[in-house]
Amino acid sequence: MAGADIRELAELALLDRARWRHLGSLAFPYLMFAPAFVLIMGISVVPISYAILQSFFRSPTLSLGRFVGLQNYADYLFTSNGIGSITASLIFVAGTVLIAMPLGFALAVLLSKPIPFRGFLRSVLIMPWLVSNLVGGLLWGWIGNPQYGLIPWLLAQIGVVLPNTISNPVGAMGAVIVASAWAAFPLVMVFVLAAIQTVPPELKEAAQIDGASAWQHFCHVTFPLVRNTTMVALILTSLHAFKSIDIVLVMTGGGPNGATETMALRVFNEAFRLLNLGVGSTGAIIIFVINILFTLAFVRVLRTEHGV
Amino acid sequence: MRVRIEPGSGRRLRRTRRYLGRAGQLLFACGAVAFAVGPILWAILTSLKTPAEIAEYPPTLLPQTWTLENYVGAVFENAHFLGYLWNTTLVVVVVIVLSLVVSTHAAYAVARFTFRGRDTLMLTMFSTIMIPGVAIVVPLYMLSVKVGLYDTIWVLILVYGAWLTPTLVWLLRGHVAGIPIDLEEAARTDGCSRIGAFYRITFPLLRSGLLAGTVLVFANVWNEFLLGYSLVQSDEARIIQVGIYSNLTDVGVEWGRLTAGAVAAIVPILVAYAFLQKAFIQGLSAGAVKG
Repeated sequence: MAGADIRELAELALLDRARWRHLGSLAFPYLMFAPAFVLIMGISVVPISYAILQSFFRSPTLSLGRFVGLQNYADYLFTSNGIGSITASLIFVAGTVLIAMPLGFALAVLLSKPIPFRGFLRSVLIMPWLVSNLVGGLLWGWIGNPQYGLIPWLLAQIGVVLPNTISNPVGAMGAVIVASAWAAFPLVMVFVLAAIQTVPPELKEAAQIDGASAWQHFCHVTFPLVRNTTMVALILTSLHAFKSIDIVLVMTGGGPNGATETMALRVFNEAFRLLNLGVGSTGAIIIFVINILFTLAFVRVLRTEHGV
Repeated sequence: MRVRIEPGSGRRLRRTRRYLGRAGQLLFACGAVAFAVGPILWAILTSLKTPAEIAEYPPTLLPQTWTLENYVGAVFENAHFLGYLWNTTLVVVVVIVLSLVVSTHAAYAVARFTFRGRDTLMLTMFSTIMIPGVAIVVPLYMLSVKVGLYDTIWVLILVYGAWLTPTLVWLLRGHVAGIPIDLEEAARTDGCSRIGAFYRITFPLLRSGLLAGTVLVFANVWNEFLLGYSLVQSDEARIIQVGIYSNLTDVGVEWGRLTAGAVAAIVPILVAYAFLQKAFIQGLSAGAVKG
């Protein structure tokens, strides 16, 4: 009798152990994931949710304050430089993309060929990517300085007079776009080059045997295979130009007269210079929403790439 | 239109075209290199000139008298510059350790197990990659004031850690999936615990992923400005990019010192890049998606 009891207990204990082990292995992935989850919830998800909530309220302090509906959004759009900053963002992003994409793409095609000094060229051409946007803006602000800069002087020698890169709206916008494209083209180059290198060389041989010219080969074989990567690079480049403030802040601070104040820079100026947190954080939400739209486009491109 | 073709001219034409093409490629490559490194070289040259020479017009190409006085002024005589470098190094190192530890565990969980809610968790996490810094800076500022971490390097460490972790999980997930599971199973039959198998077998095999992740964190944190500017006010906790910006606004347009400070901030990254090109390209490409 006693022996049976003991056996029963032992069986129970064994069962329990197995159950514990089973529970443990169920919990294991959750435990592994937990620290990342806590960090991201606390520092990304909760603050951004609070910011969305706050964009419908107004208060002079850090508390939530009084519900004002869409008033902050209306203020953001129609006070001070609302429309101007949207225009500035559009021009800045479009200008950056129009220079960085063709340049990065052409360099990728060039570097995919067996040219001399290829490794050296690739290492050197990536350098702007390593430099922070803030320092990049500083460097371009100096080399394009209307008074002492190298570039205005060089161009003046061949008879080209640049509009002033600080006080003229067109000159200032041109200067920040060039600096932004400088920072952006290596990403395009690296992404497209990586994609070109995955194109199987047999395809090229086959095309050659069929009598295709280099140009035909590029249009009908290489380009279709790197189109998605090019789209990804395009989206990332526009996204980065849209949301970053460093280059414009350092070079013009948004001037002259708001001509280069992009939407992202305006958030910064409103929140940290004019201490207008309500309008600043509302602008931030608008940027976030536009970012999501870019992201959806991004995901779509990735999907088509994987053929889903 | 009909053109009379002489024998041999087709080949000559093709050869001329090939040479022209080569020359065009060469010219394009040279132009691109000048565009890419011109501003950096010009800053280096400027930083080695005397202030009087910098203010000369027309500008001199090479320094007439080579001098390091701008570096002495910008880096050593500036009471805070070395402090900024130290703060940045400290933040970079702690964030590397923190975020890599956190994200290797998470990457292992999502790559090796299918568990209830995994896809939702992953979606939540990866969607935070797309939150741009400028959208979250105001709420983070308020939050850090409320919890009393405002104006310390700890707020930067936490924020950068959370900011880079999703990208690191994204990067490392692929690396974990690339390690054959048989190795862990073999270790477990030999009596290794689940977590032991992870630490002893999988973790060491993640080396190339961890290296790319380290570079990702280093390059992004070293070059970060916006959050560093908004969450820290005092010189004691300031990081390098903010220091360079405050030089611009405080010191004014003293280009010798400004370029010297900028060059001093670029050099560590360029040196690291010279040794770890492959990891840099992998890390920067993975980090390109981040907000």
